[in-house]
Amino acid sequence: MSTGEFPRFYFALPRLLATFRGGSSKRAENNGGEAWIASIASYLVSYLFFAQFIPATLGLWSGVLSFVLLAFLVWLFSLLALYLNSLVIKLLQVCGLFRSIPIRRAQSILVAGTASAMALQLLGDGGWSAEIAAIWIVAVVMNLAAAAILAFRNGDRAHS
Amino acid sequence: MTERPNRLGRFAVRGVFWRHYLDWAAINLPFHVYPVQVVFFTLFFFFFAAPARRAIVANLAIVLPGSSRAMNYLRAFRTLSNFAWTISESAIHKLLKEEFSYKIIGAEWLEQLGAAPGAIVLTAHMGSYDLGAALFAEKFRREIRVVRAPEPDRQSAQHLTGSLEKAGEGAVKIDYNTAGALLSFDLLKALRAGEIVSIQGDRAEGEVSQVAARLFGHEVQLPNGPFVLALVAQVPIYPLFIARIGCRHYAIIVHEPIRLENTGDRESDIANGVGQWCAILEETVAQHWDQWFAFTPIFTR
Repeated sequence: MSTGEFPRFYFALPRLLATFRGGSSKRAENNGGEAWIASIASYLVSYLFFAQFIPATLGLWSGVLSFVLLAFLVWLFSLLALYLNSLVIKLLQVCGLFRSIPIRRAQSILVAGTASAMALQLLGDGGWSAEIAAIWIVAVVMNLAAAAILAFRNGDRAHS
Repeated sequence: MTERPNRLGRFAVRGVFWRHYLDWAAINLPFHVYPVQVVFFTLFFFFFAAPARRAIVANLAIVLPGSSRAMNYLRAFRTLSNFAWTISESAIHKLLKEEFSYKIIGAEWLEQLGAAPGAIVLTAHMGSYDLGAALFAEKFRREIRVVRAPEPDRQSAQHLTGSLEKAGEGAVKIDYNTAGALLSFDLLKALRAGEIVSIQGDRAEGEVSQVAARLFGHEVQLPNGPFVLALVAQVPIYPLFIARIGCRHYAIIVHEPIRLENTGDRESDIANGVGQWCAILEETVAQHWDQWFAFTPIFTR
């Protein structure tokens, strides 16, 4: 444990912005605001992705019930996906990939990849769900660019 | 007679499955996945851990007088959510040794405790008490004996003991508070040898020796073991609480020690100590009611 109070970040984009403001670019997993934003954003993209499969012909109450039920089904899907991801990561590690990073960071890449694939599909649908998907994709692209800049600046790994 | 394993028992609310899941999550899940997962797991346990939910609501009705039942259900959700966060972060600390930050309230008392030749740490089922023991051992490089109420599930108890001892890197020893007198002698010996003993003093469970006290104007039964030990061994009692105040950020709250004088009237001496402890507990619970993990009814009706 430490008694430090310095605001630090996990994702590359806020870490890069922090360095511009004289802060640290070192990755940390203790920023609650960052965790909540990323968690809600990836959940929202998954939710919108699956919501498009709910038929528009449903009545008001059955529609509302379906959307509420979907919230739990998306959670269960995410649990299953996280478990399957962990198996995929173990398999990749056997094949010599992802060995130098912790499993949870490799999982982070797979989570972002899956959500981005869903967001790309949502983009074609138009409407406000496409707007949210676009925000997600822009955030991912900016984060990747920031990771690349950090890697060039101080040899940081670009996979965040 | 051999004990028949209950295969479904491991999936019960207090079963070992959930402890194993937390360990798996600590290793496999990135930190930014936790918030939504915690919300849904809290919802899950809010509905399936009905006795715990009802106990929290009943306790809150007394801790926060005048509060509505509906609001107390929402507060129970918040309490369960905080519980989910603290046990998740305890697992992360145990398995990953990730960096946690903390602030100390009552630093002079904590320093005094760290140097004390034998003392009792009296704490409550509040915040991350498991993390607190590991932190204390780490900070002061001292062994600490943690006395806990026995877990109803044997496998969960084994897992929890292993976890706490692992988190404390060998400096945290776990004892279970059962009806037997042997533990009392053992703890007395440890205190006289200059060790630190940590006991949870906010509820008396099972057949442990109890003392009647008043908390928030209501009668409660508290364990009298810590007070008897402090009186006999003539060691101070340090009220200490660990509250979660942010993502991997904790407050260590230490109060001025309670010293029990041996006047020859044992009951009065103990009642005096219990009264002081209740005043501190009341103040702390009122401030951190959302982290008081009292999942059984505390107050006598």
